[in-house]
Amino acid sequence: MSGKTCSSSSSSSSVIHAQKLVDQLRVEASMERIKISLTAADLVRYCQDHRRSDPLLTGIAASSNPFKDKKTCVLL
Amino acid sequence: MCDQTFVAATFGPCESCGKASPLMNIYIKTEAINFCSFCVELMTCQVLQGGESVASLKRESDNLKKKLEEERGKLNDIELHQVAEKSEVLGAFAIKTRRLLKGHGNKVLCMDWCKDKRRLVSSSQDGKVIVWDAFTLNKEHGVTLPCTWVMACAYAPSGCAVACGGLDNKCSVFPLSLDKNENLNAKKKSVAMHTNYVSGCTFTSSDMQILTSSGDGTCALWDVESGQLLQSFHGHTADVLSLDLAPSETGNTFVSGGSDMKANIWDMRSGQNIQSFETHESDINCVKYYPSGDAFASASDDATCRFFDLRADREVAIYQKDSIIFGASSVDFSLSGRLLFAGYNDYTINVWDVLKGTRVSVLFGHENRVSRLRVSPDGTALCSASWDNTLRIWS
Repeated sequence: MSGKTCSSSSSSSSVIHAQKLVDQLRVEASMERIKISLTAADLVRYCQDHRRSDPLLTGIAASSNPFKDKKTCVLL
Repeated sequence: MCDQTFVAATFGPCESCGKASPLMNIYIKTEAINFCSFCVELMTCQVLQGGESVASLKRESDNLKKKLEEERGKLNDIELHQVAEKSEVLGAFAIKTRRLLKGHGNKVLCMDWCKDKRRLVSSSQDGKVIVWDAFTLNKEHGVTLPCTWVMACAYAPSGCAVACGGLDNKCSVFPLSLDKNENLNAKKKSVAMHTNYVSGCTFTSSDMQILTSSGDGTCALWDVESGQLLQSFHGHTADVLSLDLAPSETGNTFVSGGSDMKANIWDMRSGQNIQSFETHESDINCVKYYPSGDAFASASDDATCRFFDLRADREVAIYQKDSIIFGASSVDFSLSGRLLFAGYNDYTINVWDVLKGTRVSVLFGHENRVSRLRVSPDGTALCSASWDNTLRIWS
């Protein structure tokens, strides 16, 4: 089977590919975006609100941390 | 002597209509097109009619890309670290290795915590998947898969099953039983089938569905019971290396990162790619949602970790240092989202202040690259898996 060359400058598969790309970009362009000053403030607020419940941030006493080895009891 | 330099007649799925039939191998401007004869006829007709179509589409896509850049640029009125200036500076960070889990015979590639905060599952290059009790270092279950490089493993939300997958191109679910003597391989259920390796898997909100990412460039949602493909996600142009589910109960989106340097946000129900971020300069190895679900972080071979805000639709922070030249393989947030733990190929774990963009601490201990790290569900500990065959629990 010999190969045929087509003299035109386009092909169906790249049209389909380009169409998909344009559709995807249209979807992304239609998204409603919010300014960073507002979203960043929300992120900071979330951190503040939850900092107390974050053990790795605030550290927890050895007695309540199941991974820290408890000191052995000394019987007097 | 057979010299195979001629084109053989091929039979297969037509690139245009998808039907399997004898294909005509033609070349258009050195680009090989494999269409069935019907589609070749159709194409030549279309070409004569719409010769401009590709050019005009390209123009439109370029315009849209420019417009997207402009829109995103308009929102960049302030930097995240500037907003965070009022936050208090983090004090000295003192966590160290509390447990060393030895038992794997080869590189540990992945791990996941159970919701009971004490069990975890890990998988390694030699095909072994082990379920550990992190408090006692007891190995509760062990399974050997027939394939090597088990790159993904996940614990079910109920704690009653684990899913794992890798070079076998499948993701299998193993129900865990209390009976230690039971052979887990007997109950194995093959759920996902990809055409290339499985790089990541996770259960959705229940034990009934799993989401997988694969080297074949797609992600897929499967029903565990029937093994049926519920939804597939196409859009990445190279291997998908990581995925993470949005944290909220009602949320049905997930983020994926791949070798095409893009991180995409997907809608699970429609399969649509709703947002895309392309600022990394190399493969994205790991993606993880911020605890509030409004942002996510990514780790990449370009030695940076980046933070992306979903509502502003752009990157808002880069965590990098001149002294860090090795790729980052895994990231996870602490419970409040203030700390970002990142494992690197230089055997260290760097702890970053998410808001201020500065490094808080470096954790040394592993003797080979860190492949995966996860914060425990209650936030008390961090577990890291490494190519040095061990897992470490830091607290």
